[in-house]
Amino acid sequence: MLDATIRTGAALEIEALSVAYPSRGGWLQALDGVSLSIAAGSVRGLVGESGSGKSTVVLALLGLLGPAARVTAERLAFDGHDLFANASALRGRRIGVVFQDTAAALNPALTIGSQVIEPMRVHLGTEHRAAWQRGTDLLAEMGIPRPAQVMRSYPHQLSGGMKQRVGIAAALASEPDLLLLDEPTTALDVTIEAQILALLDELRSRRNLAMLLVSHNLGIVDRLCDTVSVLYAGRLVESGTTGEVLHRPRHPYTKGLLAALPRPDRPHAGRLAPIQGNLPDLTAPDPGCNFRPRCAFAVAGCYRPQLLSGDRHQVSCHRVDAVADLPWPAEPVPPTAAPVASAVPLVEARELSIRFDSGGWLQRLLGKVGGVLAVDRVSVTIRNGEVLGLVGESGCGKSTLGRLLLRLLPARGGTLRFASAVVGARPDAHFRQRAQVVFQNSDTSLNPRQTVGMILGRAVRWFAIASIDAEVSAEVDRLLDLVRLPRSYAQRYPHQLSGGEKQRVGIARALASRPKFLVCDEAVSALDVSVQAAVLNLLRDLRDELSVAYLFISHDIGVIAHIADRVAVMYQGTIVEEGAVGDVLQPPYHPYTELLLSSVPLIGKRRTVAASTQAARAVPMAGGCKFADRCTRRVGPICDSVPPPVQQAAPGHGIRCHIPLPELAAVPHWLSQ
Amino acid sequence: MTLLTLPRLSAPSALVLGGALLLLIGLAAVVGIWFTPYDPAAFAVRERLQPPSALHPFGTDEFGRDVLSRVLAGAHLSLATGFGAMAISLAVGVPLGLIAAFHRGVTEEVIMRSVDLLIALPPVLLGLLVLAVTPPSLWKTIAAVGLVYVPIMVRLTRAVALGLLEEDFVQAARARGEGAPTILWHEILPNAWPPIIVECGLRVTFAILLGSALSFLGLGPQPPASEWGLMIAEGRDFLRQAPWVCLAPGLSLCVLLVCVNLVGEGLRERLDPQLRGRSHA
Repeated sequence: MLDATIRTGAALEIEALSVAYPSRGGWLQALDGVSLSIAAGSVRGLVGESGSGKSTVVLALLGLLGPAARVTAERLAFDGHDLFANASALRGRRIGVVFQDTAAALNPALTIGSQVIEPMRVHLGTEHRAAWQRGTDLLAEMGIPRPAQVMRSYPHQLSGGMKQRVGIAAALASEPDLLLLDEPTTALDVTIEAQILALLDELRSRRNLAMLLVSHNLGIVDRLCDTVSVLYAGRLVESGTTGEVLHRPRHPYTKGLLAALPRPDRPHAGRLAPIQGNLPDLTAPDPGCNFRPRCAFAVAGCYRPQLLSGDRHQVSCHRVDAVADLPWPAEPVPPTAAPVASAVPLVEARELSIRFDSGGWLQRLLGKVGGVLAVDRVSVTIRNGEVLGLVGESGCGKSTLGRLLLRLLPARGGTLRFASAVVGARPDAHFRQRAQVVFQNSDTSLNPRQTVGMILGRAVRWFAIASIDAEVSAEVDRLLDLVRLPRSYAQRYPHQLSGGEKQRVGIARALASRPKFLVCDEAVSALDVSVQAAVLNLLRDLRDELSVAYLFISHDIGVIAHIADRVAVMYQGTIVEEGAVGDVLQPPYHPYTELLLSSVPLIGKRRTVAASTQAARAVPMAGGCKFADRCTRRVGPICDSVPPPVQQAAPGHGIRCHIPLPELAAVPHWLSQ
Repeated sequence: MTLLTLPRLSAPSALVLGGALLLLIGLAAVVGIWFTPYDPAAFAVRERLQPPSALHPFGTDEFGRDVLSRVLAGAHLSLATGFGAMAISLAVGVPLGLIAAFHRGVTEEVIMRSVDLLIALPPVLLGLLVLAVTPPSLWKTIAAVGLVYVPIMVRLTRAVALGLLEEDFVQAARARGEGAPTILWHEILPNAWPPIIVECGLRVTFAILLGSALSFLGLGPQPPASEWGLMIAEGRDFLRQAPWVCLAPGLSLCVLLVCVNLVGEGLRERLDPQLRGRSHA
């Protein structure tokens, strides 16, 4: 076996790792000569967009790629052991792994305890009682309250953040030296993400763990990692310390990724710069630079093969010196009329509420009704051509409010006015035509059995925009032009489109009726950064061209800061703060807004997070402030019993809190810290 | 090459092979209504219980009737039971399932609880209930077997439709203000029929078996009709002396069921998006 004598101090060394999968079109080169190393006690980030091969690296290290994959490497060593020969002996024992989907990673039929102690029982042979005690201690170390009780509970009884803590505890149970983290916080809210990142940071220094953090989120990589490797279509394009790579990027792809990222600390900072094009075909790998077709700086000489070069800050680019000081070019601005945000209210919701009942028909018959008030007397106003951003954690009622404004859900109380006319519970075709919706998941928002032309044509016919075939197809062409898609796409089926293209079709369908108001429900959340930038630019252009008003729902504060004119912050069914984007993103804040903003990982700013207690109560106190039990700045019993008043911090900037405004203003400016 | 390394029958070939054989059986069944080597009902007392020979490939039964002719003449009965019952359960079950999915609340509860009531009864008992009160006939067998499979269709259709109703493209149609019939026709049905058809393909087998079982119990077509289940029932008294009288319809039933299953399995692999996705990956 590969001897333990060649210790180099690096916990993990990968040299020229290549992985190919068999596919219909031949061998698919998922990884092509990837090299990286991680020193003990340090964290390496591995970033790249979907399809870049990030997760394949993790699976290859674990030896879990399956028999069909063809794996080659010049060297694949963990602490001097050859990983090819020993992967099955090392994984779970000296190499721990944490996956993205906490719900799927834990077995729902087993208690938390039995899943945490299993690695100890299997790998270390620990006796049951000792393992159980050790597991309880581990959970406590992960910051889980009441660990002894949690050990006996089942996964469904825990929140997402708690499940991820349990996942980390299970990965650490056998005292590994290397922790592989595959998008560990992607499924979590930003506040929980900040807590998990803090925990990982602490573990790293306390246990001298080496970690490989796989993520598409550059902010969290910057927060946690010492070194970063950037992966594009199976090849490393840039590698170096976090400071060098993310703050002085040298490869065009890294520059492009950073330019495409909407930053919460730079609200309304002009247009984003998307990376045009799609991932290359991996079944026929380009022997030259494979980023060439999408690169803004590519020249004729780029067809030549190119390897990583440099000592510490490695870059694989032929023109690295020529483009060193050039920024990634922004998209040309289309000539448009000036934005026409007017003072005339378009959508006016007053005291809208909805309650989701739980329990079956028998309970309903017997009058035993439980339920949650998903939206609690919310009033919002959206003016003509204005973008109102709606932020909040998952489950706060953002999407539900969006559907209430479209009358897609029956409101329990309140009124809705559209263009100063009252909209009833069953709105007429005129309202439906003027208020439309764009969904998050472009895979489920398009009927898979209809072509793009049929999807758009149906909306066009339904609203009687056109009825003769020739007119309809002309209208479909106009819509495709509007969302910058080739007209030939009318013949395609959704599965023949990329994620960004599908989302454009979704937008085109919403625009078919020539609406004045669009609800964009996490419309760019499922897209890669480079594609997201293009879609955000498109939505902004469309707003200017067509003077459409948006309710832009997103959990991503960077996206909201980029596109919104005004922002509403929602917590457990109520809007706690609302105002112009510039006002909301700086003090005075609502304590919840402060918690959110301080949790956002920013590139180039390592910060502490505003203090908060762990989790919300399942059922908030009746009457008082809903945030009271999580708030660290509560003023007293008044927070639990009296609904907080709306305080006007500035014209149009309201904060629903008992704390006096001067006190709310005397906090750090989290985004510029 | 050993048996183990033989390539698995791929989806199109299962569908093609099963489909071709089923077509052949169907053709034989249609021809068998009017033309058979011997008159399937003609007694020939001197030829009683003859073993299979060149003259009578499947032998003769206790009345000297040619078993091959009888199997051919009875084929259309089994086919009619299977496919007819499926058609009935489709025609009744799919609309009920869609209504239940669309109208949550009282309507749904009424439909689903009635369906539960039907499921609670064992299939043969349910068939007996329908057939025992009135004189049996082929049509009643078909209706009874169809009724047995209505609950499955209702539940399946409702489940598929409920899933689709949650999809964003249906929400988009609602946001356009489209009514239930439009959404049903354009958004739900085109996506719902593959799993329904697949289920049908597999259920036809059970329907044919149940039809034969009811006939075996004397609740299907009456003698001298040569329904296969009925033939097995008649031949079982001579199982020791003349096993061919039972074996011929029994094996025919087997072959038919295998063909239908092949087609069902082939359809499933062709239409199930999950399986299809796997072969594309």
